[in-house]
Amino acid sequence: MEFPSQLLYAHDQALLAIMIFLIMLGMGSSLTINDFKAVARSPRGVLIGFLSQFGLMPLIALGLAIVLGLHPAFAIAIILIGCLPGGTTSNMFAYFSRGSVALSISMTTASTVVALFMMPILLNLYTVRFTTQISETMRAAGAETDFVIPTGNIISSLVLVLVPVVMGMILRKKSPGWAKTAEDTAGFVAIMVILYLILTAFVRHGGLFLQTPIQVYIATIGIGMAGFFFGYWFSRLLGMFPLFQRAISLETGIQNGPVSFAIILLSFNEPVQSQMLWLAILYSTFIVMSSSVITLYFRRKGKFDWDVYKNTQIHNRLFGGKYVTNYPDDFLPARLKKDPSQGTSPIQKRG
Amino acid sequence: MQNLKNERIVANNLAGLYQKAADRFDTLPAFATREKALQWKPVSFRELYHQGLDLATGLIDLGVEARDHVGLFGDNRFEWILSDYAVQFCGAADVPRGRDVSDHELEYIVGHAGIKVCFVETEILQNRLLRLKERLPALRHIIVLDPKAQVKEGVLKLQDIRDTGARLRNEGDTRVFARIKDIRPDDLFTLIYTSGTTGRPKGVMLTHANMISQIANLPGIHNPNDRTLSVLPIWHVFERVIEMYTISFGGCTYYSSIQSLGEDMINVEPTFMASAPRLWEKIHEKIRKNVKASHPVRQVLFHIAYFLSRQYRVSMSFLGNKYLAIKKKQWWELMLLFPFHLIRWLIVLPWYGFFNAAVLERIRLSAGGSLAATISGGGALPIYIDRFFNYVGIPVLEGYGLTETSPVISVRPKLNLVVGTVGPPIHETEVRIVDIDTGRVLYPNKDLAYEGRSMRGEIQVRGPQVMAGYYKEEELTKNAFQNGWFRTGDLGMVTHNDCLKILGRSKATIVLSSGENVEPEPIEMRLQQSQYIDQCMVVGQDQKSLGVLIVPAPEAFRHDGTRPASYEDLAQSKEVSRIIRQEIRKLISVSNGFKNHELIRDFRLLNRSFRVGHELTNLFKVKRHVVAEQFNDVIQDIFLNGTSKTI
Repeated sequence: MEFPSQLLYAHDQALLAIMIFLIMLGMGSSLTINDFKAVARSPRGVLIGFLSQFGLMPLIALGLAIVLGLHPAFAIAIILIGCLPGGTTSNMFAYFSRGSVALSISMTTASTVVALFMMPILLNLYTVRFTTQISETMRAAGAETDFVIPTGNIISSLVLVLVPVVMGMILRKKSPGWAKTAEDTAGFVAIMVILYLILTAFVRHGGLFLQTPIQVYIATIGIGMAGFFFGYWFSRLLGMFPLFQRAISLETGIQNGPVSFAIILLSFNEPVQSQMLWLAILYSTFIVMSSSVITLYFRRKGKFDWDVYKNTQIHNRLFGGKYVTNYPDDFLPARLKKDPSQGTSPIQKRG
Repeated sequence: MQNLKNERIVANNLAGLYQKAADRFDTLPAFATREKALQWKPVSFRELYHQGLDLATGLIDLGVEARDHVGLFGDNRFEWILSDYAVQFCGAADVPRGRDVSDHELEYIVGHAGIKVCFVETEILQNRLLRLKERLPALRHIIVLDPKAQVKEGVLKLQDIRDTGARLRNEGDTRVFARIKDIRPDDLFTLIYTSGTTGRPKGVMLTHANMISQIANLPGIHNPNDRTLSVLPIWHVFERVIEMYTISFGGCTYYSSIQSLGEDMINVEPTFMASAPRLWEKIHEKIRKNVKASHPVRQVLFHIAYFLSRQYRVSMSFLGNKYLAIKKKQWWELMLLFPFHLIRWLIVLPWYGFFNAAVLERIRLSAGGSLAATISGGGALPIYIDRFFNYVGIPVLEGYGLTETSPVISVRPKLNLVVGTVGPPIHETEVRIVDIDTGRVLYPNKDLAYEGRSMRGEIQVRGPQVMAGYYKEEELTKNAFQNGWFRTGDLGMVTHNDCLKILGRSKATIVLSSGENVEPEPIEMRLQQSQYIDQCMVVGQDQKSLGVLIVPAPEAFRHDGTRPASYEDLAQSKEVSRIIRQEIRKLISVSNGFKNHELIRDFRLLNRSFRVGHELTNLFKVKRHVVAEQFNDVIQDIFLNGTSKTI
């Protein structure tokens, strides 16, 4: 396949860098030290989230790459996407899907830190067969060296993207007003930049959309959807309440796209860089759409259990922590009957 | 589907409803009273039911007979609803009125309704009623609701009667159950004396069947997860119907107040409430100020969000046939507009989605964030307020009704939100439009184009919510009906998508000396959009042209650098007059769609504002005859020289 060797011009790369910086700054602006402490307080949810994000997701990615027979560069990219930590976008979607925002934030925070060592390990583990394929091709073309996953560079890119996150957290502490603005602006900027990249790709390399194999579309859309699906049922299997199922589902499917841009730009070179970048752009575009659809679905499906949770929560807020809300017998489904507060208020737990 | 769980108890009468609610909802909270911002005291359906039975037994022992009229003077509080429970259990009807009742009205109501036993909320009310007692020979007992009040000799405490009742019930007194069994659907549950924008109070007789029909027919899906915030006066039937409806679905009513409303909205996160236009004007004002005070970037984001939301919703309502359809659109107009709206909707959708989530949600949180629907009643909602909240995504459903119709005649259901109308009539309710001069039925009328849709006339209603009549006022009752249809006295029309649109109160109509009819309300509503104008009333009956009385908004002038001023100072100021004159000229002009005879020729600034209970009803509706009386000399002054200069 003929793939444009330079997908992005220098100024596009600069734009992307600014976007990554702004988004990570926005992410930091939404975090406080308390969010890290919250992780320690709800270890079960975060642990299940961790298994889902770093256990399920990379396997889904590997599975897609093998089943769809992706080109090695695309395969490495999709596995990279599968190994990413969660982003702040998932927190917003968790909020609107009536999921636990607290858990979503905890998972994002924890996964961002854990990614520092999990990502290199997982990438090396799952990409072996694809790196050897590339190496063989390169040798056939007369290259002297093997293609290897640039582990050191990946770690330093990850550290680098954490800098604006820390800056954002400091900003939040110093000036909450600016922090709010940074948070709001970040999402908007991200959408604009991704749209710009898609449009320029369309203008400069009009055939790119047609050249891209259908398997890549299936993989970029499918990885998010599969993440939502497996995240939802995996957490259900482990006995999580719907409130947390929805948060884990979205957290699993939605990855931190900007981090993948940073890693690809800083750690990989041609001939794979452009292809990897293109896949990351496609993923970032499709995930917004599929998350929106899933969120609307969750919102509807979750309305009842959310209303029950909210009402008990407000009863405890206004009538005191000892108030127990007793609904009529046939009103609640069995799962909520045991604890209408879905584990958020110990007093509401029955039997 | 599980997520659309609907609960609604229906019984033959309110006492039956209260009984069934206790059985079904048991320990769930029914009413909650605010002690501190985050400390509220709940009372469960079961407790309320038993306390009600105790108090009822006490009342029966005191001599309250079935079908008696029991006075109930006070504002929203738990003891009010408890007294109502007890009165219903006795098979009697209550005669409610707020704390702000005047001595004159108090005497009239207690005398006219033949009240023997009367609840009063406070010590002050007790003293006032005691002073009037000599002239009220039928009045035997006064009972004070407030447990902290110091009662005078011969006055009873609610708590004591409840205790007596509890003791009697313990000893096997079951008279109350016989009373409940004896209630018939056409018995009165309440006799409400309307504050009325005109004339002396009239006792509106509402039956159990009236109220039960409202509970059964109000549109909406609710269940025990819902929280109702109570802020309008409970003695007004609109608030009362919402509270009764809340009992029927097992929700909890939280008693708030105007002062703590903002805070309570955030803490209680209500899902439902009865509201009035003035509340929304206040919240709108607050949101506008917050946006103005926010970071410039966020301001821009808000305006983008609002713009997108407007495009999105206007196209959405067109595509769903939910726009204000006063004129019938031709097929070719629809052909042209349809693709335009469809394309616009598709283009705006993703952007709207993002901004709705990122920006507008914050605005919604200032109203608690959970508000699924609030019905606004008791006056017309200014269209810009209406649009603002619906574009922002807080569904304010405008409703329409009168005390005489218990009160809801029509309401915009959430899924059929046509901004600018009061929605289609509720279930079992028929509406017709009648020509004021000729008495001819304009809608529904098969002989007219579109069966008379978009024809203006008086709104008349027939349905299970229409009152039994005015108490001891046969002549008035007869005049209120035309061939079995209740005459609302309001002007309106039925739109092409079968919603009702209110065009003004027919009695408020000003007839100029030229014979031209002017509806003052649209003009007043337009003037009130000005930040400089707080309240106003258009006058000019039998004059050559219109004038307007204006209460300026002091805060608006503070911002402009003028020193903080009293109403007197403002009325004196030339600068203020100049600004107001400009505002009137700007707002009420031919280019703004007003007719020549609707233009304002002169105005006067008033040296005080309109007060609730005097010039305003509890729902902030201007009582025209009171204002006309109070400011008679000012009005005379406007028309003194008979000049018709334009301002």
